[in-house]
Parts: sequence; C-alpha cells; structure tokens
Amino acid sequence: MARHTVPDLLPGTLDLLILRTLQTDSLHGWAISERIQQVSQDVLQINQGSLYPALHRLEHQGWIEAEWAVSELGRRAKYYRLTAAGRRQLVVEADEWERMSTAIGRVMKLA
Amino acid sequence: MSLRDVLLRVRALATPRGVERDLDDELAFHIERETQKHLADGLNPADARARALARFGPVPLIADQCRDARGTAFIDALARDVLYAFRTFRRAPLAALTIVATVGLGLGMVSVVFTMYSTIYLRTDAVRSPDELFAVKQSTGPGPDASLPFTRRKYEAMRRETSIFADAVAMLRPVPARIEGRRVTSDLVTGNFFQVLGTQPVLGRPLMPEDDERFGRPVIVLSHKGWHKLFAGDPAVIGRRVRVNGLPYEIVGVMPEDFRGLGILAPDYWAPLALVGQFRNASIGREDEIAIDIVGRLKSGMSPQAATAGLSAWASGRTDLNMVPGRPTSISLTPSKGTLLADLESLMAFTPLFFAFGSILMIGCANVANLLLARGVSRQREVGIRLSLGASRRRIVRQLLTESFLLALAAAAGGLAISRLFLESALYAATTMLPPMLVDVDLTRWTPDADWRVLLFLVAGAIVSTAFFGLAPALQATRLELVQTMRGEVTRDARPDRARHALIAVQVSASALLLISAAIFLRGAAAAATTDPGVRTSDTVVVAIANEPRRAALLQAVIRHPSVAALAASSQPTVAIAETSISAEAMSVDRMTVSPEYFDVLGIDVVNGRGFTHSERSVEAGVVVASETAARRLWPNRNALGQVVRLHDPAPGTPDGRSLPPRTFTVVGVASDVGGGLQIPDLFAFRGIYLPASPESPGTSLTLRVRGDPERARLALLEHLTSVDPGLGVINTMRSIAGLQTYVMRIAFWVTAILGGLALVLTLSGLFSVLSYLVEQRAKEIGVRMALGATTRNVAHLVLSQSLRPVSIGLVVGGGLAAALATVLMATPAASAIGSVVHVFDPVAYVASLLVIVTSCVLAASVPALRATRIDPIATLRKD
Repeated sequence: MARHTVPDLLPGTLDLLILRTLQTDSLHGWAISERIQQVSQDVLQINQGSLYPALHRLEHQGWIEAEWAVSELGRRAKYYRLTAAGRRQLVVEADEWERMSTAIGRVMKLA
Repeated sequence: MSLRDVLLRVRALATPRGVERDLDDELAFHIERETQKHLADGLNPADARARALARFGPVPLIADQCRDARGTAFIDALARDVLYAFRTFRRAPLAALTIVATVGLGLGMVSVVFTMYSTIYLRTDAVRSPDELFAVKQSTGPGPDASLPFTRRKYEAMRRETSIFADAVAMLRPVPARIEGRRVTSDLVTGNFFQVLGTQPVLGRPLMPEDDERFGRPVIVLSHKGWHKLFAGDPAVIGRRVRVNGLPYEIVGVMPEDFRGLGILAPDYWAPLALVGQFRNASIGREDEIAIDIVGRLKSGMSPQAATAGLSAWASGRTDLNMVPGRPTSISLTPSKGTLLADLESLMAFTPLFFAFGSILMIGCANVANLLLARGVSRQREVGIRLSLGASRRRIVRQLLTESFLLALAAAAGGLAISRLFLESALYAATTMLPPMLVDVDLTRWTPDADWRVLLFLVAGAIVSTAFFGLAPALQATRLELVQTMRGEVTRDARPDRARHALIAVQVSASALLLISAAIFLRGAAAAATTDPGVRTSDTVVVAIANEPRRAALLQAVIRHPSVAALAASSQPTVAIAETSISAEAMSVDRMTVSPEYFDVLGIDVVNGRGFTHSERSVEAGVVVASETAARRLWPNRNALGQVVRLHDPAPGTPDGRSLPPRTFTVVGVASDVGGGLQIPDLFAFRGIYLPASPESPGTSLTLRVRGDPERARLALLEHLTSVDPGLGVINTMRSIAGLQTYVMRIAFWVTAILGGLALVLTLSGLFSVLSYLVEQRAKEIGVRMALGATTRNVAHLVLSQSLRPVSIGLVVGGGLAAALATVLMATPAASAIGSVVHVFDPVAYVASLLVIVTSCVLAASVPALRATRIDPIATLRKD
C-alpha cells in the first residue's frame, strides 16, 4: 500500500488532522503522529519534521494550548490540547474539508 | 494578533533561554519516544536511534522552523531593518540629515501649537480629584450682560445654607501688586483654599482659615514661580518679611511647581481674601461686597445637574443678597480643573493655528516624499536585487518604512528642540514688541512646559508623517519590472512625474494661503497704525494713581513738574442705567467721569453745545456731555442738547467702588465718538456719557499734556513721582498705549509671515530639487534633442514648462482656498468684528503674494533650466 506523507496531500490538511486528533485527548507531539498513522491504517504518515512547526504555529494562533506533564516514559513532555477557539476552528475546517472532498468525489464520478 | 499570541511572544522575548530549553526538550523527547518504539520492535539501540533520527529529519532546521512559527522573527526582522537603515543613513548622510531637518521643522511647528493648546486646555491642575471642582456662576438671564458676580456675603451664605458642596472656595484674581517694588500678580483666596483643593506646600504651611478671619493676617504663600522670580528659590524664605504694596507681610509657605491655583498661569503668591482692602483701597470696609469667583468641590455622588438645580433653588430664595435685589437668579456650574473649558469655540480658535503651523509640516513632508521618490529611482537596483533574491514586496516596504520612521523619530526629537526655541524666542519677541507698561511682566517665564502630552504628540506626529512621506515612495520603489531592473534599466513606470507634480501643487497652494494671510494682516496692521485713534496721542501721558491717600501730594508734584503743560483727570468707563422721558425702557450706557480739561487735553471735539466749565467739577453739577452715539441712542432723531437723563449704577460696588446715586442730569454738550475703528483692542473707545469730575476725585487717573518728547517726560515724571509715592501706579505715554492697539495685528502678521516664508522656502527648495533631478535624469534625452537641433530656448522651455503646470494649479487652489476661507469667516457671527479689522478679500494682498510666489518659483526653476541648456550633447551621448 502506498504511503502518503502529509501535507503532500493538500495544503492545510495537516492543521485539520492535528486539530481532529486533539479533539478528545491531550497528546504530545509523538503521540499525535502515531495516532494519525494508526487511525489512517498507515496510509497517512506525518512528516515529523513539519509536525512541530505546525504545532507551534497553532499554539500561537490560539487554537491549541500546551502544558508540560510527565509522560509514559517517566520524563517531561509537552502535551497539547484544543482550546475553545480551536474547537470552533475544527468545525470550520472540517466543514470545508467535507465540501472539498464531496466536490472532488463528484468530479471523479461525473466528469 | 491574539492575546495568547502576544503573551507567548513576550515570554519568548523575556526568557529566551527557558523557551529554547523547552524546544530542545520537546524535540529530544520525540526522538527518544520514537527510539523506544523501535527498540520495542526489536532493533538494537544504535539502529533504533538512527532510524528515529532519519524519520524525524534535521533537528536544527526543524527547531528553526519552530522559532519562525513562534513569531520572534518579527523582532529579529525589525532589528535587521533598523541595522540596515542605519547603514543606509551612513551611506547617504546628507539625504538623511535633510529629511530629519525638514520633518523636524514641521513637527516642531505643530508642537508649538499643541504645547499651547495642551497648556490651556489639557493640563489639569495638581489638585485632589479635580473632576469634582466646579466654578459657580450666577446670572439673571441669558446673555453675557446678565451675569451677576458673587459677593463674599453671598458666598458665606451659600456655604452656610446649602450642603451641595463638600466645601467651596472664593477667590479674587488676578490682583496686581508690588513686592519690594517689583510688579507681581496675586490671587486673594479664602482661608480654606488649600485645604479644599488638597494641595500641600513644599515649604512651610498653606493659608489657614484663621489667616482669613475678620481683618486677616498679613501672610502670603508663594507659588513656585513667585518663589523663583522673587527669591531665586531660596529655601530660607519661610518667615521672611516682605513689603507688599508698602505694608509688611510674612511669607509662610511655598507651593509645588505643578500647582497653579486653578488658573492657566500661576500667580506669584496667594494672600488672604480678607485683606482685599490693602490691595484695593476702595474696598476698605466693604470687604463683603466685592465681586469674587467661587469654586466648589461637589459632594461625592452629587451630579452637576442636581447641584445646579439645588443651587438655583437656593439662589432664587436669597435674591436679597444680590447686588440688584429681587431679580430671579439662575446658577450654572462649569468644570474648574485649572484649564479652560475645551468647548467648540476654543477648538474653532485653535483650528486655524493648527492648520497654519501644520502646513509647514505638510510642505516639509511633501518635500521629503519628493526626495524619496527621486531616491527610489536610484535605489531601484538595490530593491530589484532583494526582490529577485526572494524578499517579499511587503518585507521591503516594511524595511523602507522602518527607515522613514527612524528618520521621523529623530525629526521628532529635533522638533521638540525647535518648538522650545520657537516658543521662547516668540515670547521674547512678543515681549519686546509690547509697550513699556507691560514689559515688567516677564513673559518668558510663561513659556509653557513640554510635558508627556507633548512628547506623545510628537511621536504620534512622527508616525503620521511617516505615513505621509514614506508610504507612497516605498510602494512606488517596490513596483518594479524585475528583469529590466537587473539589467540596470530604469523602468518608465517608476518615474513618478504625476505624484511629484501633485506634491508641488499642494506645496504651492499652502504657501499661497499663508502668504495671502500674512499680506492681509500686514495691510490690517498698517491700516490700524494709520487710523486716527480718536484721541491726541502725540504728547500725552497717563498717570494712574494707585494710592489714594497720596493723591493730593502727587497732584501737587505733577502740577509743579516743568514738563507738564496741562492736566486732566478721568475714570475708567463703567456701565450705568439711563432713563429718559421719551423711552419707557431704561437703557444701559457707558459712563466715565472726566475733568473739564479732558476734552481739550485729549483733543476730543465737542461738536454741539459746550464741555464742562471749571465750576462743574463733580456730579453735583448735574450736567453731562453725551457722545454722539449715546445721544443718538437715547434721543433718536432729536437734539440731545438740553435733554434730561436719569442715571444710576446697576448695582452697588462698581469696580472702582464709587457708585453713582440715582439723580437727573441735563445734557449740555455732545462730543464726538472715540474709537470704533480698525484697532483691536480698541483701548480708547468710548461712546457713552461723560460726567464731570476733578483731579481731586478719587478713582481718577491723570492725563497730562507734556512738553517735548513724551517718553522723556514719562521717565522724568516716573523718577520724580516715585520719590513722592513709592506705591505709585503706572505711567504710560498715550503713544505706547496706542501702539498696543496694533499689537495683535502685528503679532498676527509676524506669525503668518514667518510661516509663509518658511513654507515658501521649503516649496522652492522642493521645486528646485525636483527640477534639478529631472534635468539630470533626462540629460541624455536633452542631449539628443540638442544634437537634433533644439535651441537653448527650446530646452529651457522644456524644463520650465515642467514646473509651470503644478505651480499654476497650486496658485489657483491656494488663492481659491484663501477666498473660500474668507467667505466662510464672513459667514460666521464674528464677521462684523473681523471685517472691521481686516479686509479678507483685499485684492492687493492676493495679487502681491501671488506675484511673490510666481517670481520666486521662476527664479528657483531657472537654475536647473540654465543647467539644462549647458548640457553638452556630445559628452552626454558619449557617456554610455
């Protein structure tokens, strides 16, 4: 099965994936990339190099916030979670994605 | 930019090390976690770590990307921009200096006006809770004539009988006096003044209520200004005895510098109000009757509206305390914070000043914009290289704006120095232009301070001027065709002829407006100076008598003095109520008492009937002389001679304290009107009723006709009379008083002339540099034209025509603006007052100033035009 590196897929998709992943849990960076990979059944592999700049950018935009806590390894890790603004943004971006994928799907079927 | 964003950025800037460590930890944790995962899959530790690192990518690069996302990049970029800007300045120091000087001059001019505005309207006095302080005014109806002064009696009653104010103070100001012979201004205040305002002295004690009881204690509290002016800030001044108007007083305290006693300008000292008799002899025994100002501190929670209503109700119940008993009285409260009320009228008065001074800034900015537009062309290569190396246009615009803003900030600092210099020298010049009677008033001490408001204003001004002079050139400079620029070709599009022409047109129109105003004021001043003041000023001197007990002695000294040829006496004009048989309504008329010699000494014609005879030396004579206007008003269409008028004062307690009991008078003469011409202030104007008096009458001042030079006579009299009475009032020649009448006009002329001159010089230098630049840029083209047979005339015409259009557009706009402004002015209620003083449509002023501008523009343009004609076609063509 071909593996895709996000965000080769579509620009902006990485933000959406991060926000969606953080919807229920607060996670550290590594866990975010693992979760995306697992849930997509290894189809989507996060480019780990671009994950952290994205996290820091989202933090500055106020959509996620960070907190240091002790991790499963027993050492300090930075955990991210959604803020209220992030939740609103997630709704907006998810809608946008929905619209987009429907449109692409339609084109693929009918064009 | 959200709050969170700001907080994160601030944290990153404040604790860079902590933030860096966090970033390292975060990335290291990721790699370790990934390594753990591979270990769990069964890899050996070295392989596991290598695979984790390979998957992650280059750590330092990613860390950098995280830093960029963090946003301190903004600050880094700013620092780089600033550095780059300084390098640019070093490379072209003359350009940077020109910009700083030009914009600094403009900012300095605007902040001159702002400093004055701030001092008068914004700088609240240093008192406790100034917002609770309100001045109390009473009136018997609408209009300024109906205002009714408070008396001390009524003030005390108000304090006793109402509970609207936490407490109220009363004051009388400004009262002129002399301390050890030096002219000073004093504020007389109630004993609770300092307690109610909540101000502590820096030395000694404030005035106390006990100081102000019954006859008062002779103590004074110095203001910071008075302390420095009279005692050079001597800390041992407390307890010292000084002679105030010749009587001993003790200095008990000194107030802080920022306390001005609820005035714009602090007095030299405060003294108890109960001592008013020692400052105004006429008030002795009538201390409760004098007119005073009242300021109250509202009880907390009391609204001004409720207070007004409550006080009005009380005042209507106590009309027995009024000077005119029985008239209904209403009360109004106005905030009294030590500033003037910033109402619409005062703003209207300041708007033209802001515009006039601001136009220098505008013209300066236009010059700088022009300069930058020109430099933009020469910097095209630099900008082009940066653009093609991948800099965004926004980034370069920001960098160019940073450069401009740094220059503007330097200009703001220079502007502060310029505004101080201008204010001080303007006040000095204004003082030296004043006639001697006021020169002792040390105006330079009045120079308003530059406080934080002025600094803030300057920074804001720097930002605005950056937008004005920097934005357009920056946008223009980055609009490039990359490929051509790299090849070194100047793109046609970047030659911003139209923008430059527009700027010149704006400059010319502003200069035209200012110069036309200057010309109008100059003509006004000239007209005022040549207008007959209505009284004889060539050989007359006025002696004010401040000390009534010494009147007889002074009179003797004056009569015996060799330089005195004739002597008359007169009082200040006051208002009286006149009743005649032909009108049911009483009318108010001005009245003044004059001795029989007055008409002759001052050369006022008695056009009908006669003046006073030598036996008519007091109101008991029952005769009056009416001026033409008064005669017309009281007896329209009749001969005033022989008519009977009943006169009395509107209220007891006229300013000189000598009231006129009601009685009837017969008109024996009609005198010509005095004043009402082009002068402001119209000091001699009198169009009321003359009552007889003599030089012995208290409250009159003496008018003398002197032999020889009046100024020399004045000095001789001053010396002689001071030996008779050290507490003597003022002696002035009528000529210098008349000089005061053109003073306002002369000041207005000088201000507009200086501004207009500056504007013109800036405009000309702008025009000159633009044309010179143009000639340089088009040298090749001109060379070709000449090679093809163009004559020097053609070439000169080519250059001159470049300036013709913007200049003529500017002239038309400027002249039109002046005329439009004049039309607007004439439509306001002040039209008649303005119209009597200056002719706002004076064609001579318009034509003269426009001619000045045209001539100087032609001169400025002719230098580059000449240079163009000297271009050697062969040399220019060979250059490439």
